[in-house]
Amino acid sequence: MKAYAIVATTALGALILAGCGSSSSNNNGTNAAATKCATSIGMEGPLTGPVAVLGQEQLHFAELALATDNTANKTHITLVQGDTQLNPAQATTVTQQLTSNSSIVGVVGPAGSQEVEAVGPLFARVNMAFISGSATNATLTQGKYPTFFRVVSKDSVQGPQDANYIVNTFHPKALMIVDDQEAYSTGLVSVMVPIFQQAGIKVDHESVSQKVTDFSSIVAKVTPATTVVVLPWQVATNAQQFGRNLAQQHKNAVIFGTDGLFSPGTFTITGSDVSSFGPDITGIPADASIVAAATSKFGKFGTFGPPVYAATHVLDEAIASVCKGGHTPTRANVLAAVKATNEPTSILGQPISFTSGGDIVNGKFFLFKIDSTGKYNLIPSS
Amino acid sequence: MAFFFQELVNGVTTGALYALVALGFSMVYGVLKLLNFAHGDLYMVGAFVGYFVIQWFGGPAALSIPVPLVLLIMFVLAALLVGFLGVAIERFAYRPLRNAPRIAPLITAIGISFFLENAALLLFGAQFRVYNTSEFISFSSGIQIGSVSIDAVQIMVLLMGLVLMVGLRLLVTRTKLGKQMRAVASDREAAEMLGINVNLTIAATFFLGSALAGVAGVMAGLLFNQVTNMIGFVAGLKAFTAAVVGGIGSLPGAMLGGLLIGIAESFITGYVSSTYTNLLIFGLLIAVMLARPTGLFGRPQLRKV
Repeated sequence: MKAYAIVATTALGALILAGCGSSSSNNNGTNAAATKCATSIGMEGPLTGPVAVLGQEQLHFAELALATDNTANKTHITLVQGDTQLNPAQATTVTQQLTSNSSIVGVVGPAGSQEVEAVGPLFARVNMAFISGSATNATLTQGKYPTFFRVVSKDSVQGPQDANYIVNTFHPKALMIVDDQEAYSTGLVSVMVPIFQQAGIKVDHESVSQKVTDFSSIVAKVTPATTVVVLPWQVATNAQQFGRNLAQQHKNAVIFGTDGLFSPGTFTITGSDVSSFGPDITGIPADASIVAAATSKFGKFGTFGPPVYAATHVLDEAIASVCKGGHTPTRANVLAAVKATNEPTSILGQPISFTSGGDIVNGKFFLFKIDSTGKYNLIPSS
Repeated sequence: MAFFFQELVNGVTTGALYALVALGFSMVYGVLKLLNFAHGDLYMVGAFVGYFVIQWFGGPAALSIPVPLVLLIMFVLAALLVGFLGVAIERFAYRPLRNAPRIAPLITAIGISFFLENAALLLFGAQFRVYNTSEFISFSSGIQIGSVSIDAVQIMVLLMGLVLMVGLRLLVTRTKLGKQMRAVASDREAAEMLGINVNLTIAATFFLGSALAGVAGVMAGLLFNQVTNMIGFVAGLKAFTAAVVGGIGSLPGAMLGGLLIGIAESFITGYVSSTYTNLLIFGLLIAVMLARPTGLFGRPQLRKV
């Protein structure tokens, strides 16, 4: 009986506290927003777990964009972090937390296509915009998730572009393609393999978990006829290790990495080709101040941070435009403002506006070749 | 045939690593009947120690002292630091729960695992740290037999793994400490009544098991190059599987289990498909468990009534 009493008292206390907390946050959010454009946005990413390196980079760039935009727009937008660990189940939990927080009017992320599939209906239910900087699966923008946007191009653009480049540049008789068992990777493989087969190339399709770090057994299957190994992966150090295993076994195949491997300083296997949804921002003069700020604060960065900067900026500008119009930023009017986004330029070196499905207009991919110093050199598009 | 031998070399090398981690796992289980799920994370700490030793001596491309000396320092320091970390974990997390229901230390072990992973995340960040082994140990310094390549790091891992396994076996079977460990594993209370210092013996077991995990972590760093706070998860899972296949609590079983899993992984990837590697590996585990529920070298526990 005593135990029941303790449980009941604890539950009652928790309910009272929750009630106080929620009412106070609601009041603060609404009043503050009305007076000084103060509101919150969420940020979903793999902040811990096996690919925390990507998530931390995304978080850093989201924070950087928010700080810059708050100063420029005189807004008071705060960031609420949500750690998805690149896991759809975890992303669902995080999304439920963010959508139930009434002060949050939009979300940056999540990172993975598989997560977007899991959380898309949750965001649609509360009419909240969410903008990913890295989910590229082509099916995500076919109308299933009406509040989803992305600032990067999609696999149906990248896959054919990369596959045709491989066919026309390397003229391989045989190639190996290795997926990493994630939606991003398998989606690209399903687009690229038919193009290779149509070109009469013998394809050895392998599959390996992102958590594996030893590729010597797969590399042993690379035959002398296999001149290209295609890695549609997201973990650059894995690709680096794959390249080392190739060298270790004296195999001469060239690695072709998709945009997930665009990571100067980390993936540096000489002669490899890498695709990217954005140019190397360190080479864009207009991004010099962002590059300097990011480098001094966070050190080296790869391909995952800058698009999240762009996504955060889109959301910040949407909120600012609502406030400038004399309205309180709500989920509905922020969503409408995101849909109307029309930025003539961005950190990614291209304009940002969205199609009705949420895709970036005129999204494209860039190809780079890695030289012997590890530098990424842009391959001019033909 | 060359392909077969290449896969065999790859499998034995990986298997030796699994075996070293599995040994520590099995030792702790043998003495405390505790599934130490934090064991894989000790391997991760060892890998970080090795990484920082390389950095302290100028980085992989510009080592300020001879390579063999760097390697020696990496292994010794990793063994000592991780060994003492294991002892500290036993002292402060497991010992207070020694007489608690068995679920309590199990949950604590999972908690310690998360603690170590997140402590490493806070201390070292989320970015991958890279050994860049090929910058100080050339691929050409290995052996090439026909088209089979065995590089110097693989040879070192195989030899060290063998020496450590044989050494541990001798320690357990031929020394006073080994006899005490076996006595505590067999019956802790009886061992205490016979004057064996049980706490010290358990601490020594944790030290040895953790030191092996630390050494395996350095080996993994040299072989696979990358270190993050999460590398212990997969290693721990594979080591646990190896220990169970071999017969948990049995040291020869852990060695055999580790080697078997490494070789099976390699051959399944090579001859079947990498897509099915984990499916078939864990299918193998289930098959072994069905045929021999106590594992290959495990003994059924007799209960006196």
